[in-house]
Amino acid sequence: MTTPHLGGPNDCPNPIEAAVLMDYWLAALPSAAEEAVEQHLMTCDGCGDRLREVIAMAEGLRALARSGSLQVVISDQFVKHAAETGLRVREYAPPRGEGVPCTVAADDDLLVARLAVDLTTASRVDVSWCDPRGIEHQRMPDIPIRAEAGSVICQQSITWAKASPSVTMIARLFAVDEKGDERLLGEFTFHHTRTIPGPPGWELT
Amino acid sequence: MNVGLSDADLAPRIAAGDREAEAEMCRRMVPRIRLYGLRHLRSPSAADDLVQQVLLKILEALRAARLREPDKLAQFVLGTCRMTVLDLQRSSYRQEELLATFGGDLVPDPPPMPRLDDRRLARCVQALKERERSVVVMTFYDEQTAAETARFLGISEANIRVIRHRAIQQLRACMGATL
Repeated sequence: MTTPHLGGPNDCPNPIEAAVLMDYWLAALPSAAEEAVEQHLMTCDGCGDRLREVIAMAEGLRALARSGSLQVVISDQFVKHAAETGLRVREYAPPRGEGVPCTVAADDDLLVARLAVDLTTASRVDVSWCDPRGIEHQRMPDIPIRAEAGSVICQQSITWAKASPSVTMIARLFAVDEKGDERLLGEFTFHHTRTIPGPPGWELT
Repeated sequence: MNVGLSDADLAPRIAAGDREAEAEMCRRMVPRIRLYGLRHLRSPSAADDLVQQVLLKILEALRAARLREPDKLAQFVLGTCRMTVLDLQRSSYRQEELLATFGGDLVPDPPPMPRLDDRRLARCVQALKERERSVVVMTFYDEQTAAETARFLGISEANIRVIRHRAIQQLRACMGATL
Protein backbone atom coordinates (compact mmCIF):
# COMPACT_ATOMS: atom_id res chain seq x y z
CA MET A 1 0.00 0.00 0.00
CA THR A 2 1.34 3.43 -0.85
CA THR A 3 0.36 6.94 -0.04
CA PRO A 4 -1.24 8.16 -3.23
CA HIS A 5 -1.06 11.91 -2.84
CA LEU A 6 -0.75 14.57 -0.23
CA GLY A 7 -4.29 15.61 0.36
CA GLY A 8 -7.16 16.69 -1.80
CA PRO A 9 -10.36 14.90 -2.75
CA ASN A 10 -8.94 12.89 -5.66
CA ASP A 11 -9.61 9.28 -6.57
CA CYS A 12 -7.05 6.85 -5.22
CA PRO A 13 -4.63 5.21 -7.68
CA ASN A 14 -3.76 2.52 -5.11
CA PRO A 15 -7.03 1.76 -3.35
CA ILE A 16 -7.06 -0.44 -0.28
CA GLU A 17 -8.93 -3.68 -0.92
CA ALA A 18 -12.37 -3.89 0.60
CA ALA A 19 -11.38 -7.06 2.49
CA VAL A 20 -8.47 -5.21 4.09
CA LEU A 21 -10.73 -2.31 5.01
CA MET A 22 -13.18 -4.75 6.58
CA ASP A 23 -10.34 -6.37 8.54
CA TYR A 24 -9.27 -2.90 9.63
CA TRP A 25 -12.79 -2.15 10.84
CA LEU A 26 -12.91 -5.49 12.65
CA ALA A 27 -9.52 -4.78 14.29
CA ALA A 28 -8.27 -7.96 12.64
CA LEU A 29 -5.14 -6.55 11.02
CA PRO A 30 -1.62 -6.96 12.40
CA SER A 31 -0.37 -3.72 13.93
CA ALA A 32 2.01 -2.89 11.06
CA ALA A 33 -0.75 -3.33 8.49
CA GLU A 34 -3.13 -1.28 10.62
CA GLU A 35 -0.52 1.49 10.81
CA ALA A 36 -0.16 1.48 7.02
CA VAL A 37 -3.94 1.63 6.53
CA GLU A 38 -4.30 4.54 8.94
CA GLN A 39 -1.50 6.52 7.32
CA HIS A 40 -3.12 5.95 3.93
CA LEU A 41 -6.58 6.94 5.17
CA MET A 42 -5.23 10.14 6.65
CA THR A 43 -4.28 11.31 3.15
CA CYS A 44 -6.83 9.59 0.93
CA ASP A 45 -10.47 10.60 0.80
CA GLY A 46 -11.28 8.04 -1.89
CA CYS A 47 -10.38 5.18 0.44
CA GLY A 48 -12.15 7.03 3.25
CA ASP A 49 -15.33 6.86 1.17
CA ARG A 50 -14.71 3.16 0.61
CA LEU A 51 -14.23 2.62 4.33
CA ARG A 52 -17.54 4.35 4.99
CA GLU A 53 -19.20 1.84 2.64
CA VAL A 54 -17.49 -1.01 4.47
CA ILE A 55 -18.64 0.37 7.83
CA ALA A 56 -22.20 0.66 6.53
CA MET A 57 -22.10 -2.98 5.46
CA ALA A 58 -20.59 -4.07 8.78
CA GLU A 59 -23.26 -2.20 10.71
CA GLY A 60 -25.95 -3.69 8.48
CA LEU A 61 -24.57 -7.17 9.07
CA ARG A 62 -24.40 -6.58 12.80
CA ALA A 63 -28.02 -5.47 12.91
CA LEU A 64 -29.03 -8.44 10.79
CA ALA A 65 -27.11 -10.90 12.96
CA ARG A 66 -28.81 -9.47 16.06
CA SER A 67 -32.26 -9.44 14.49
CA GLY A 68 -32.66 -13.21 14.73
CA SER A 69 -34.23 -13.17 11.28
CA LEU A 70 -31.66 -15.40 9.60
CA GLN A 71 -31.68 -19.15 9.34
CA VAL A 72 -28.15 -20.13 10.25
CA VAL A 73 -26.11 -22.73 12.11
CA ILE A 74 -24.52 -21.20 15.20
CA SER A 75 -22.35 -22.26 18.10
CA ASP A 76 -23.33 -23.03 21.69
CA GLN A 77 -21.09 -20.19 22.80
CA PHE A 78 -22.93 -17.83 20.48
CA VAL A 79 -26.28 -18.78 22.04
CA LYS A 80 -24.91 -18.28 25.56
CA HIS A 81 -23.39 -14.95 24.61
CA ALA A 82 -26.63 -13.77 23.03
CA ALA A 83 -28.52 -14.60 26.24
CA GLU A 84 -25.84 -12.88 28.37
CA THR A 85 -26.12 -9.74 26.27
CA GLY A 86 -29.83 -9.50 26.94
CA LEU A 87 -31.45 -11.30 24.04
CA ARG A 88 -34.40 -13.52 24.89
CA VAL A 89 -33.59 -16.94 23.47
CA ARG A 90 -36.32 -19.53 22.83
CA GLU A 91 -34.70 -22.93 22.54
CA TYR A 92 -36.10 -26.38 21.75
CA ALA A 93 -34.18 -29.62 21.95
CA PRO A 94 -36.38 -32.59 21.08
CA PRO A 95 -34.84 -36.04 21.62
CA ARG A 96 -33.73 -37.75 18.43
CA GLY A 97 -36.67 -39.39 16.69
CA GLU A 98 -39.22 -37.54 18.79
CA GLY A 99 -41.25 -34.37 18.61
CA VAL A 100 -41.72 -31.31 20.76
CA PRO A 101 -44.52 -28.74 20.96
CA CYS A 102 -43.15 -25.26 20.38
CA THR A 103 -44.12 -21.64 19.93
CA VAL A 104 -42.64 -18.18 20.06
CA ALA A 105 -43.68 -15.15 22.09
CA ALA A 106 -43.75 -11.59 20.87
CA ASP A 107 -40.74 -10.62 22.97
CA ASP A 108 -38.54 -13.54 21.91
CA ASP A 109 -35.41 -12.47 20.04
CA LEU A 110 -33.83 -15.72 18.93
CA LEU A 111 -35.31 -19.12 18.12
CA VAL A 112 -32.93 -22.05 18.13
CA ALA A 113 -33.29 -25.79 17.65
CA ARG A 114 -30.69 -28.01 19.29
CA LEU A 115 -30.40 -31.23 17.29
CA ALA A 116 -28.35 -33.88 19.11
CA VAL A 117 -26.70 -36.35 16.74
CA ASP A 118 -23.46 -38.27 16.47
CA LEU A 119 -21.31 -36.28 14.09
CA THR A 120 -18.11 -38.26 14.51
CA THR A 121 -18.56 -40.30 11.34
CA ALA A 122 -19.81 -37.52 9.07
CA SER A 123 -17.67 -35.28 6.91
CA ARG A 124 -20.56 -33.43 5.31
CA VAL A 125 -23.96 -32.91 6.92
CA ASP A 126 -27.14 -31.51 5.35
CA VAL A 127 -30.24 -30.38 7.23
CA SER A 128 -33.48 -31.04 5.42
CA TRP A 129 -36.68 -29.35 6.58
CA CYS A 130 -39.74 -31.41 5.64
CA ASP A 131 -43.46 -31.38 6.28
CA PRO A 132 -45.24 -34.38 7.85
CA ARG A 133 -45.80 -35.82 4.36
CA GLY A 134 -42.06 -36.01 3.91
CA ILE A 135 -41.92 -33.27 1.30
CA GLU A 136 -38.72 -31.27 1.62
CA HIS A 137 -39.29 -27.53 1.82
CA GLN A 138 -35.76 -26.42 2.44
CA ARG A 139 -32.29 -27.88 2.55
CA MET A 140 -29.26 -26.46 4.29
CA PRO A 141 -26.38 -28.20 2.51
CA ASP A 142 -22.95 -28.79 4.04
CA ILE A 143 -23.57 -27.06 7.33
CA PRO A 144 -20.59 -26.22 9.55
CA ILE A 145 -20.07 -29.02 12.07
CA ARG A 146 -17.56 -29.96 14.72
CA ALA A 147 -17.31 -33.72 15.08
CA GLU A 148 -17.01 -33.70 18.86
CA ALA A 149 -19.87 -31.24 19.38
CA GLY A 150 -22.56 -33.92 19.50
CA SER A 151 -25.22 -31.54 18.29
CA VAL A 152 -26.13 -28.97 15.67
CA ILE A 153 -27.65 -25.68 16.77
CA CYS A 154 -29.83 -24.21 14.09
CA GLN A 155 -31.21 -20.71 14.44
CA GLN A 156 -34.58 -20.36 12.77
CA SER A 157 -35.88 -17.02 11.60
CA ILE A 158 -37.80 -15.50 14.50
CA THR A 159 -39.52 -13.23 12.01
CA TRP A 160 -40.80 -16.26 10.11
CA ALA A 161 -41.80 -18.10 13.30
CA LYS A 162 -43.77 -15.17 14.68
CA ALA A 163 -45.82 -14.93 11.49
CA SER A 164 -46.10 -18.65 10.83
CA PRO A 165 -49.40 -20.48 11.23
CA SER A 166 -49.53 -23.56 13.41
CA VAL A 167 -47.52 -26.14 11.52
CA THR A 168 -45.47 -29.30 12.00
CA MET A 169 -41.96 -29.32 10.55
CA ILE A 170 -39.43 -32.12 10.62
CA ALA A 171 -35.68 -31.55 10.63
CA ARG A 172 -33.68 -34.42 9.18
CA LEU A 173 -29.93 -34.48 9.43
CA PHE A 174 -28.12 -36.46 6.76
CA ALA A 175 -24.50 -37.44 6.45
CA VAL A 176 -23.59 -37.09 2.77
CA ASP A 177 -20.63 -38.96 1.31
CA GLU A 178 -18.46 -38.13 -1.69
CA LYS A 179 -20.85 -39.94 -4.04
CA GLY A 180 -23.79 -37.94 -2.77
CA ASP A 181 -25.34 -40.88 -0.91
CA GLU A 182 -27.22 -39.90 2.20
CA ARG A 183 -27.36 -41.55 5.60
CA LEU A 184 -29.94 -40.38 8.15
CA LEU A 185 -28.28 -39.20 11.36
CA GLY A 186 -31.40 -38.05 13.15
CA GLU A 187 -34.92 -36.75 12.80
CA PHE A 188 -36.60 -34.14 14.98
CA THR A 189 -40.20 -32.97 14.85
CA PHE A 190 -41.41 -29.51 15.80
CA HIS A 191 -45.13 -28.96 16.38
CA HIS A 192 -45.34 -25.20 16.13
CA THR A 193 -48.41 -23.52 17.57
CA ARG A 194 -49.04 -19.94 16.68
CA THR A 195 -49.72 -17.87 19.80
CA ILE A 196 -49.17 -14.36 18.50
CA PRO A 197 -52.31 -12.75 17.05
CA GLY A 198 -51.93 -11.18 13.66
CA PRO A 199 -52.86 -11.47 10.02
CA PRO A 200 -53.66 -14.91 8.64
CA GLY A 201 -50.59 -16.98 8.01
CA TRP A 202 -49.88 -19.17 5.05
CA GLU A 203 -50.28 -22.84 4.42
CA LEU A 204 -47.35 -25.00 3.42
CA THR A 205 -48.00 -26.62 0.07
CA MET B 1 -9.17 29.22 -3.49
CA ASN B 2 -7.27 26.73 -1.33
CA VAL B 3 -9.00 23.63 -2.67
CA GLY B 4 -6.19 22.78 -5.09
CA LEU B 5 -3.47 23.06 -2.48
CA SER B 6 -1.78 20.04 -0.98
CA ASP B 7 -1.92 19.37 2.75
CA ALA B 8 1.70 20.56 2.93
CA ASP B 9 0.77 23.88 1.34
CA LEU B 10 -1.92 24.52 3.92
CA ALA B 11 0.24 24.39 7.03
CA PRO B 12 2.40 27.51 6.36
CA ARG B 13 -0.66 29.46 5.24
CA ILE B 14 -2.42 28.68 8.49
CA ALA B 15 0.68 29.77 10.38
CA ALA B 16 0.52 33.04 8.42
CA GLY B 17 -3.04 33.63 9.59
CA ASP B 18 -4.93 32.50 6.47
CA ARG B 19 -8.41 31.64 7.79
CA GLU B 20 -9.51 30.17 4.46
CA ALA B 21 -6.61 27.74 4.66
CA GLU B 22 -7.79 26.79 8.15
CA ALA B 23 -11.27 26.13 6.86
CA GLU B 24 -9.91 24.02 4.00
CA MET B 25 -7.73 22.03 6.39
CA CYS B 26 -10.75 21.38 8.61
CA ARG B 27 -12.88 20.40 5.63
CA ARG B 28 -10.29 17.83 4.59
CA MET B 29 -9.41 16.45 7.98
CA VAL B 30 -12.85 16.15 9.58
CA PRO B 31 -13.92 13.04 7.63
CA ARG B 32 -10.52 11.41 8.12
CA ILE B 33 -10.39 12.07 11.85
CA ARG B 34 -13.98 10.94 12.24
CA LEU B 35 -13.26 7.62 10.52
CA TYR B 36 -10.35 7.10 12.90
CA GLY B 37 -12.69 7.87 15.78
CA LEU B 38 -15.37 5.49 14.53
CA ARG B 39 -12.83 2.71 14.23
CA HIS B 40 -11.26 3.19 17.64
CA LEU B 41 -14.14 4.55 19.72
CA ARG B 42 -17.04 2.65 18.10
CA SER B 43 -19.44 5.51 18.65
CA PRO B 44 -20.53 8.30 16.30
CA SER B 45 -20.85 10.79 19.15
CA ALA B 46 -17.44 9.87 20.57
CA ALA B 47 -15.98 10.18 17.07
CA ASP B 48 -17.52 13.65 16.78
CA ASP B 49 -15.94 14.61 20.11
CA LEU B 50 -12.61 13.31 18.88
CA VAL B 51 -12.89 15.40 15.71
CA GLN B 52 -13.42 18.53 17.74
CA GLN B 53 -10.58 17.86 20.16
CA VAL B 54 -8.09 16.89 17.47
CA LEU B 55 -8.94 19.87 15.25
CA LEU B 56 -8.51 22.26 18.12
CA LYS B 57 -5.11 20.83 19.00
CA ILE B 58 -3.98 20.92 15.39
CA LEU B 59 -5.18 24.46 14.80
CA GLU B 60 -3.46 25.58 17.95
CA ALA B 61 -0.21 23.98 16.79
CA LEU B 62 -0.45 25.24 13.22
CA ARG B 63 -1.30 28.79 14.21
CA ALA B 64 1.74 28.77 16.46
CA ALA B 65 3.85 27.36 13.56
CA ARG B 66 4.84 24.37 15.68
CA LEU B 67 4.66 21.95 12.74
CA ARG B 68 8.23 22.15 11.41
CA GLU B 69 7.72 19.79 8.46
CA PRO B 70 4.52 20.84 6.68
CA ASP B 71 4.57 17.78 4.43
CA LYS B 72 4.00 15.68 7.53
CA LEU B 73 0.65 17.26 8.36
CA ALA B 74 -1.20 13.96 7.86
CA GLN B 75 1.18 12.11 10.18
CA PHE B 76 0.80 14.90 12.71
CA VAL B 77 -2.98 14.59 12.56
CA LEU B 78 -2.79 10.81 12.89
CA GLY B 79 -0.44 11.08 15.86
CA THR B 80 -2.74 13.62 17.49
CA CYS B 81 -5.69 11.26 16.93
CA ARG B 82 -3.82 8.45 18.67
CA MET B 83 -2.79 10.60 21.62
CA THR B 84 -6.27 12.04 21.99
CA VAL B 85 -7.93 8.63 21.99
CA LEU B 86 -5.47 7.55 24.68
CA ASP B 87 -6.20 10.70 26.67
CA LEU B 88 -9.97 10.48 26.43
CA GLN B 89 -10.34 9.17 29.94
CA ARG B 90 -8.43 12.11 31.34
CA SER B 91 -9.81 15.37 32.63
CA SER B 92 -11.84 17.40 30.17
CA TYR B 93 -10.09 20.59 31.37
CA ARG B 94 -7.80 20.85 28.33
CA GLN B 95 -10.68 20.46 25.92
CA GLU B 96 -12.70 23.13 27.67
CA GLU B 97 -9.70 25.47 27.63
CA LEU B 98 -9.21 25.01 23.89
CA LEU B 99 -12.92 25.33 23.19
CA ALA B 100 -12.94 28.61 25.07
CA THR B 101 -10.02 29.80 22.94
CA PHE B 102 -11.20 28.80 19.50
CA GLY B 103 -14.84 27.79 19.73
CA GLY B 104 -16.29 24.86 17.88
CA ASP B 105 -17.64 26.62 14.83
CA LEU B 106 -14.77 25.62 12.54
CA VAL B 107 -15.90 22.01 12.53
CA PRO B 108 -17.91 21.30 9.37
CA ASP B 109 -20.43 18.50 9.16
CA PRO B 110 -18.89 15.11 8.35
CA PRO B 111 -19.94 13.33 5.15
CA PRO B 112 -23.05 11.20 5.66
CA MET B 113 -22.68 7.46 6.04
CA PRO B 114 -23.92 5.47 3.01
CA ARG B 115 -27.42 4.03 3.28
CA LEU B 116 -27.85 0.31 2.92
CA ASP B 117 -30.87 -1.61 1.65
CA ASP B 118 -31.42 -3.82 4.70
CA ARG B 119 -33.86 -6.20 3.01
CA ARG B 120 -31.54 -6.72 0.10
CA LEU B 121 -28.66 -7.34 2.49
CA ALA B 122 -30.75 -9.96 4.31
CA ARG B 123 -31.49 -11.72 1.03
CA CYS B 124 -27.81 -11.62 0.09
CA VAL B 125 -26.75 -13.07 3.45
CA GLN B 126 -29.37 -15.80 3.23
CA ALA B 127 -27.99 -16.69 -0.22
CA LEU B 128 -24.49 -17.36 1.16
CA LYS B 129 -23.32 -20.91 1.71
CA GLU B 130 -24.10 -22.26 5.19
CA ARG B 131 -20.52 -22.07 6.42
CA GLU B 132 -20.08 -18.51 5.14
CA ARG B 133 -23.36 -17.40 6.71
CA SER B 134 -22.36 -18.86 10.07
CA VAL B 135 -19.02 -17.05 9.93
CA VAL B 136 -20.65 -13.77 8.95
CA VAL B 137 -23.32 -13.94 11.66
CA MET B 138 -20.89 -14.90 14.41
CA THR B 139 -18.30 -12.36 13.29
CA PHE B 140 -20.59 -9.40 13.11
CA TYR B 141 -23.02 -10.14 15.94
CA ASP B 142 -20.52 -8.93 18.47
CA GLU B 143 -17.40 -8.61 16.36
CA GLN B 144 -16.31 -12.04 17.50
CA THR B 145 -12.66 -12.75 16.77
CA ALA B 146 -11.51 -15.20 14.13
CA ALA B 147 -10.11 -17.36 16.93
CA GLU B 148 -13.52 -17.78 18.58
CA THR B 149 -15.23 -18.60 15.32
CA ALA B 150 -12.39 -20.96 14.38
CA ARG B 151 -12.89 -22.91 17.61
CA PHE B 152 -16.54 -23.48 16.75
CA LEU B 153 -15.85 -24.59 13.20
CA GLY B 154 -12.76 -26.60 14.07
CA ILE B 155 -10.69 -24.89 11.38
CA SER B 156 -7.79 -22.44 11.46
CA GLU B 157 -8.10 -18.71 11.99
CA ALA B 158 -6.56 -18.22 8.56
CA ASN B 159 -9.38 -20.27 7.03
CA ILE B 160 -11.93 -18.18 8.89
CA ARG B 161 -10.44 -15.05 7.35
CA VAL B 162 -10.55 -16.66 3.90
CA ILE B 163 -14.21 -17.62 4.38
CA ARG B 164 -15.02 -14.14 5.70
CA HIS B 165 -13.24 -12.41 2.82
CA ARG B 166 -15.04 -14.58 0.31
CA ALA B 167 -18.38 -13.92 1.96
CA ILE B 168 -17.80 -10.16 2.04
CA GLN B 169 -16.81 -10.21 -1.61
CA GLN B 170 -20.01 -12.07 -2.50
CA LEU B 171 -22.12 -9.75 -0.38
CA ARG B 172 -20.61 -6.70 -2.03
CA ALA B 173 -21.29 -8.16 -5.45
CA CYS B 174 -24.83 -9.07 -4.42
CA MET B 175 -25.36 -5.54 -3.10
CA GLY B 176 -24.09 -4.07 -6.32
CA ALA B 177 -20.93 -2.54 -4.86
CA THR B 178 -18.56 -1.39 -7.53
CA LEU B 179 -15.46 -0.77 -5.47
